[in-house]
Amino acid sequence: MKQSSVVDLLLLLLAIAVLASPAFSDLVLSKVERRIDVTSQIARVTKTLKVVNSGSESVSEFTLTFPKFLGNNLAYLSVAHSEGKGKSKRNLVNLSVEATNPKGIPDSISVYSVALPKALNKGDTLTLEVVAAFTNVLQPFPEKISQGDIHLVMLQESAQYLSPYAVESQSLSIKLPNARIESYTNLDNTKLQGSEIKYGPYKNLPQYSYSPIVVHFESKAAFAVAEKLVREIEVSHWGNVQVTEHYNIVHRGAQLKGEFSRLDFQGRPPSGVSAFRHLLARLPPRAHSIYYRDDIGNISTSQMQSDSKKTELLIEPRFPLFGGWRTFFTIGYGLPLSDFLFASEGKRFLNISFGSPMIDLVTEKLIVQVVLPEGSKDISVTTPFAVKQSQEIKYSHLDIVGRPVVVLEKNNVVPDHNQHIQVYYKFSNINLLSEPLMLISGFFVLFITCIIYTRSDFSISKSSATYLAKLQWDEVLATLQEVQNIIQKCLALHDKLEASLRDLSRTGDFQTCKAARKSTDSLLKDLSKELKPLMAFLQTSPSASQISPKVEELIAKEKELQEKLMAKHTTVVEGYEKKSSGRDIENRIASQQQKITALRQEIEDLLEFIDEI
Amino acid sequence: MAAKPIASPIPVLMYPTLSVFTLAIGLVITAIFFIYEATSSRKNCSLGKELATATGFGSLFLLLASGVYV
Repeated sequence: MKQSSVVDLLLLLLAIAVLASPAFSDLVLSKVERRIDVTSQIARVTKTLKVVNSGSESVSEFTLTFPKFLGNNLAYLSVAHSEGKGKSKRNLVNLSVEATNPKGIPDSISVYSVALPKALNKGDTLTLEVVAAFTNVLQPFPEKISQGDIHLVMLQESAQYLSPYAVESQSLSIKLPNARIESYTNLDNTKLQGSEIKYGPYKNLPQYSYSPIVVHFESKAAFAVAEKLVREIEVSHWGNVQVTEHYNIVHRGAQLKGEFSRLDFQGRPPSGVSAFRHLLARLPPRAHSIYYRDDIGNISTSQMQSDSKKTELLIEPRFPLFGGWRTFFTIGYGLPLSDFLFASEGKRFLNISFGSPMIDLVTEKLIVQVVLPEGSKDISVTTPFAVKQSQEIKYSHLDIVGRPVVVLEKNNVVPDHNQHIQVYYKFSNINLLSEPLMLISGFFVLFITCIIYTRSDFSISKSSATYLAKLQWDEVLATLQEVQNIIQKCLALHDKLEASLRDLSRTGDFQTCKAARKSTDSLLKDLSKELKPLMAFLQTSPSASQISPKVEELIAKEKELQEKLMAKHTTVVEGYEKKSSGRDIENRIASQQQKITALRQEIEDLLEFIDEI
Repeated sequence: MAAKPIASPIPVLMYPTLSVFTLAIGLVITAIFFIYEATSSRKNCSLGKELATATGFGSLFLLLASGVYV
């Protein structure tokens, strides 16, 4: 398996050498420096290429090639060219790179085309810096080890730079971790300095030159790979961005065969160097409320250190991870809103990092869900690399229509991808008010229900207390009505008396007056008799307890009025009999008249009051 | 194209204080309402609105202060 790809390529090169390969635009690479860093589980290749246009046409694109077994595992590729001359050039501008499939290039090479910023004219030179990160190219060899063995991995590469252009001078240096080096291919011009292997410089190589090398060495890096990472970023305009990450971590190094002995693992010297225990995460500064738990519960083996630039979280899973072992956990933390949400040109945007905050973690499948508050519109995402986008709805606290979720998916993510992405959307601050309004209306409905409940009568049987009370109340009202009628009749009789007095003053006929008085008197006596039982009833009934004193008062006043009127009538009639002057009569009855009018007024008031009940 | 950071309309540090005060006021008014309800027999609709507001805001700040971040 390890040799077949190399053999493939050799055969292929022969084929190419035999066939006339097309002249691939006359660029010449005057100097190529390659540095491969394999101290972690990712192979990072940094190339500095000096490109010279030795042809006659100007060229605007550059072709970058990798052998297929590397190209399939390419996780991250960025090409930059440094502007300015001399040692002070550190102005890297990223160029756009695309994977292409041009004709004339054999299948076992993957090709990327770089668009140059301006066309390269004849005789010009350009310096390109390429950074490429490969996952899964450090193959563990042997593939199964026992607990006490060291972890050996193998890297296959080419000492000469495989490119469609001719190369004038090139060199390669591989930086290995500070550990044992088992073996490496020894071509000419090979030097081992400390833990670095240098191949080259090789001069004047034709196109597609390739010489395979294999380096077998011990790696102390943690081969932690997250098979699936779901990262949920929830934005709340009340001041918080909550990030929740669900990890499924597996150790992708050499698998453990045999048993795991805890005694050996913790003995002196401890065995199990191929396992890793710690994972370090770098969170943004001012992260708060950090939790680390899994399905069982909280995991307490973690440490946090924060300063003004970052928050470092060192977590230890429940058991050390050997090759092939896996674990799962959840990390969550909150971030202050003003560090990540900004407003520009009428839109708001969230500027947050894309990948996992853990250093040196490769993610095979990364799903980032950005949950925006309810009522966000015109959502768009800007990322520095390609991702797959989709939208969903999530229902959370106090939601009516749900919150829009932007789902970004990417495979094969390395820490180089941990750059910032921007999510743009529109939101008006009025929508923030809908949440307290919902709570308020909830409480309002509760209280209205209370009010309605206390006022409504749900009783079914006829002997319940409310029903009886209602009946009694009706009776009381009826009685009151009758009392009112009687009082009105009394008042009418009073009016008749007054009328007869006026007749007397007109005609002087006091006999008819006396007769009228007598009849009124008898009628009034009848009416008061009728009043008595009603009054008795009102006094006994409990629900009229507030009203009966008023009614009593009314009747008493009415009686008083009756007497006064009678007295006045008698006085007036006597006065007429004695033939005294009108003035005398007036004086005598003046005080009485006053009292009469006052009493009348009070009676009217009481009648009104009873009316209102 | 200066981007200015957006923060919450009410300072986050004051959430616990605000929640205590608004909840206290809301609960007092609720108590008054229920006592009034039990002793009288007249329509009191506007009072209901008032106290619903107080309790509503109080419970919102309580939720926010405890980290639910609705």
